[in-house]
Order: sequence, then C-alpha cells, then structure tokens
Amino acid sequence: MLETFTPAVCGSRKRQIVGQSLFAVAAVVTSAMLGLLLGLLGSMLGAEQAVLGAAALALVAAAREAGLIRFSIPQARRQVPEHWRFELPLPVWATGYGAGLGAGFFTYQPISTFWVACAGALALAEPVPAALCVSLYGAGRALMVVWPRRRADDPTAAVERLTSRRGTLLRANVIALVACGILLAVAPAAGAGVTQIAQNALDPTVDRGNLAFATASGDVVVRPASGPDRTYNGAAEPSLSGPYLAYRDSAGIRVIRWADGTEVRRIASPNVSKPALAWPLIAFVRRAPPYDKLFVRNLVTGRVTLYATVRLPTDLGRPSLRHGRLAWHSATRNESKIMVVTLSSGARRTMAITRIGLLGNPSIYRTRVVWADARFGVTFLKQGWVTGSRRVVLARINSRTVSYWTTALASNAAYMTRWVMPTVRTDLFRRTP
Amino acid sequence: MPQPDGTRLDRQAERLSAKLAESQTRKSFLGRLGAAALAIAGGSAVAAAVKPDEADAFHLCGHIWTTGSCPSPYPPLARIDRKGYPLHPSSGRPIDNLGRIVDSAGYALDGNGNRLLGPDGAVLAPGPRTRVCEDWTREVKGLRDLRIQGSWYRCCGGQIRKLTDCCSFSSRRINGDASLVGYCWGGRRVYCVMYYDTGLAC
Repeated sequence: MLETFTPAVCGSRKRQIVGQSLFAVAAVVTSAMLGLLLGLLGSMLGAEQAVLGAAALALVAAAREAGLIRFSIPQARRQVPEHWRFELPLPVWATGYGAGLGAGFFTYQPISTFWVACAGALALAEPVPAALCVSLYGAGRALMVVWPRRRADDPTAAVERLTSRRGTLLRANVIALVACGILLAVAPAAGAGVTQIAQNALDPTVDRGNLAFATASGDVVVRPASGPDRTYNGAAEPSLSGPYLAYRDSAGIRVIRWADGTEVRRIASPNVSKPALAWPLIAFVRRAPPYDKLFVRNLVTGRVTLYATVRLPTDLGRPSLRHGRLAWHSATRNESKIMVVTLSSGARRTMAITRIGLLGNPSIYRTRVVWADARFGVTFLKQGWVTGSRRVVLARINSRTVSYWTTALASNAAYMTRWVMPTVRTDLFRRTP
Repeated sequence: MPQPDGTRLDRQAERLSAKLAESQTRKSFLGRLGAAALAIAGGSAVAAAVKPDEADAFHLCGHIWTTGSCPSPYPPLARIDRKGYPLHPSSGRPIDNLGRIVDSAGYALDGNGNRLLGPDGAVLAPGPRTRVCEDWTREVKGLRDLRIQGSWYRCCGGQIRKLTDCCSFSSRRINGDASLVGYCWGGRRVYCVMYYDTGLAC
C-alpha cells in the first residue's frame, strides 16, 4: 500500500496527497461506520453479557499474542485489488482502498487486536461512542500510509525499522490487551441506559414482553407487547404471569386473564396484599397482627406454604416469584436484608444484608435478583446472582429526596419506580443493559 | 441554643454527672475527673469557674486532633445520642440511617411532623437506625472490634460537648495512617471520633 501512494503511481505529488487524503478519510469513515453498527448491535443484544465476552476475548487474544496458545483468527487473507488503480480514477480507487482496509474484515490481520476492538465496540452498546472508538482503527490504517513519508528518505526504510521492533510492539500489544480485558471485566455494564417509560406510575411487573404497573390514581394498566393498553380500575400492586394478572383490590387479591378481564381466582380477604404471581403459584402477604406472614399458594391444588413471618412493624416487602424462586425483603430497625428461597428444595439464601442501609423490593428472574439499596444521599439499583457473590450497580440516584422503590426484572431489562419523596411523585424507568 | 437558667443548669449538671458516672467513659481518667467535678461542684459553679472559650477544631467543633469522624448519615458531623445512635447535626433530633428525622417508634417524619407516606399511600415502615461506632463503622470499614470508650469535653455552641472515641485494636485509624491511643484503653486505639452535645451550658 505504501508503494501505491507515490507520485509515480498517482501521477504527481499533488495527486499523491489527494489520494492519501481520500484513503485516510475513507478508512476513518468506514471504521467509524463499523463501530456504529457494532454499537447498535450491542445495544440490542445487551451490553452486560457483551462486556464479559469482550473481556474474555481480550484475555484470550493476549494469551495468543504472547504465544501461550495458538489458534487461527478469522480473516480474509487478501490484499486490496491491485487492478483498481489501473482501471479506476484515483479518487475512486484511493477511497475504495481506504474503505476496504478501514472495514477490517477484508484484509489480513497479523494480530487479533482488531477483533477485540470489535468486541469492545459491541460491549459499549452505544453507537456513537463505539463509532468514535473504532474510527481509531481507520486512523491507524491511514497513519501507516502517511507516517513513513514524514521524511524525505525512502519510506520503505521506515517500515523496515518498524518491523525490526516487532517484538517490542507485540509485547506492548499483549500488555494493552491484558489491561483491556481487566478493565472490561471490572467495569460496570457499559452503555447502560435508563429511560422513563411511564409517568405517575409505580409497582412495575413484566413477563414475556408485557408490562403492567399501578397508577397514582389507583388503577392498574397492562401494556402488552403489542396492542392497546388495558386498564383495571380500583386496583393496585399488579403482578403478571403469562395471560394472567394478579392485583389487590378492596376485597383482597384478584387473578384475572388480562386480555379480557375474566376472573380466574380470588383470595377474598382484606388482610392480604402484595401478590406475586407465577401461575399457578401466587405469593402474598397476609397481615395477622402482630405478624405479617408471607405465603405461597398453588391456585390449582390449593396448597399453601408459609415462607416468612415477621413481627410488626418489621417491613415484609413486596415479594417476587419466578422460575421456582421467591424473593422478598425484610427491614427492621436494626437491619434490612434481601432473601431468596428455592421453592423445590426450601434452600434459603441471604442475597444482601446491611445494618446501615435500607434494602427493598427485590425482583427475581432465573438466577438474577435486583433490589433497591438506599443509603443516606444515594440509592442504588443493584443486581446479584443467586448462584454467586457478584454484585453490580445497574443504576444510582444521588439525592436525599429521590429514591428507587419497587422493581421488576426481565431477561434484558430492569424496571424500577423512581420516587420523589416531597411530592410523592412516582415514575417508571427501564434500565437496559 | 438558649442560655439555661441556674436551676435548670444544676438539674442538667446532676443528670449529666449521673450519666457520666454510668457511662462507659468512667474508666477514662478525664471522664471520671469531669464527672466528679460536676457532681461535687454543680453545674453553675463549674460554669462560673471554667468560663471556657469556644474550642476550635479541624473538622468539627471541639476536636483539635486529626482523627476523622466516624461514618454517619451526615458526615463528617457524627452527632450521636447517649447510646451512640445518630442524631441530626443541627436539630439534634433522632434520625434513621437514611438521615430522616424519626419519631420514638422509628417512623420517618415529614416536615410537618407527620409520619412519612410511601408511594402507595401507606405509612413507611421504620428503617434501620443503628449505632454509629459499633454498626456503621463496623460495616463500612469492616472492623469487628469497635467499642465506644474514652471521651473528653469541650465547649461548643455555648454548651458542653462530649467528644467520644470509637476504639479498635486496629493500628490504623480511619484516616488511613497510624492510630493513637487517645482515650481508649485495653489495647484499643482511636479509630474515629463522634460527639454528643450534652445540652449543658458552658
């Protein structure tokens, strides 16, 4: 490529500069477009998983470049089409060469760093920042055309000098890849986006793409993945499970088919509240002063199991029931904690406990649990895994008067109620990874 | 703070001396000395004899040493009640761990003194309210041997302030450097400091 951009090939010194410029612009723009697409793809896939994948890839690549492991990297071992420069005008072939090399996929890659950069862009999960980052690859390609000619002597000598330092460059590349892997692994989920999805709403619940929430005016709204909203008046504390919706009304807990409002089951008692439905199971809290008790009832067989009892005024929070696990919080004046029990085995796990904060309103999805962690002046939305001790902060609010309240969790998003205490205003937000 | 009259001062002094005698600080030489002096002489006499100036400090009034305050809802103002639970730095009212003023049952109060309501319209359940030294500092700093031990007194805002050491066997203090023995005993050293405003005029 270096020999291509010479006055002899281009026709004159001026045409050489034009060719180099077009090459550079095309390389940068193409690589930026690549980053844009990867960032877009990452935003659709979910950054959290992509971050860990990129970190793993960076470490594997570092091991490869260090010679610890050997494997072929996917690439097209082709050079740019030489005949272009004989058949096409200079602006076209210079731009075409830049675009071809800037895209990265259509040329020889001596090291695997390009693929790590692509994975990083995917993990960034934001198109514009990813475009800016990957455009550096194109800038590097352009630099290698321009830089050896910064002096008047033979530019190929400069390339040979660079080649003689290949060992040093490879070691530096290994160090950079290891650092990249570590930073990606310890970084919070990149590209996390928090967006408002409903105003004057609280108590989100989500299942199979359908969302339901309570409104400040005392209704429950079901927002299906497709189709119009459905509103149920005089209802609160909704919980979705497939075609079923459970909510609390003045007479107790009602379970309906949310598509047509047909009542399926009812727990008639003014002392029951906080339903969590995973059909045919329903968890709820029954107040029997001086106690609050957390039950799970099978709505088909009628079997009822007691899972927790607290003495008032201990707060036994809104439970969450999914995939055979039940999560809830309890908060006393001495401590607050998030509990998870596996229904089949009865195994209990304390997901989080603190004596100085207020943990509340967990939601569970398979092995993941999210909850609100309120401290003085800051509230976190945290996520943990039932199977491990890892914890990540999904979102935070730095405020003494604004906090997170109830939560919901889906495969690719977390939902939370944002509560402004002085005005008692609540809005629903979604945090996508 | 209003200047107390003589009778009230004497009553407060007696109460303070009793508290001092009962408190964990009795093993502290200065603590015992202060209690004895207050018990014998009475608050008015002490107030007349001492006539202290305001004790300026590095980060809170009365603290002229460098050890930092314990973690608390309103850092660095680790104001506590006589049992070590957090108080609002300016109003002196009990607060929970989220910094909310609470009533005697632990319910958070709004600006009008009513129990705070949650988004669902129900009264918020009481949140945790735990001791600044034994609970807050233990959880934040991961130390399991923290105790309130020694204390000393200064005049701050026209009243006697009891400054209290939160002591640990750790050789490092909250600042991250070497800790001092201070008013701690039994091998413990000062990890961080708190204060208790007695309400007794000085």
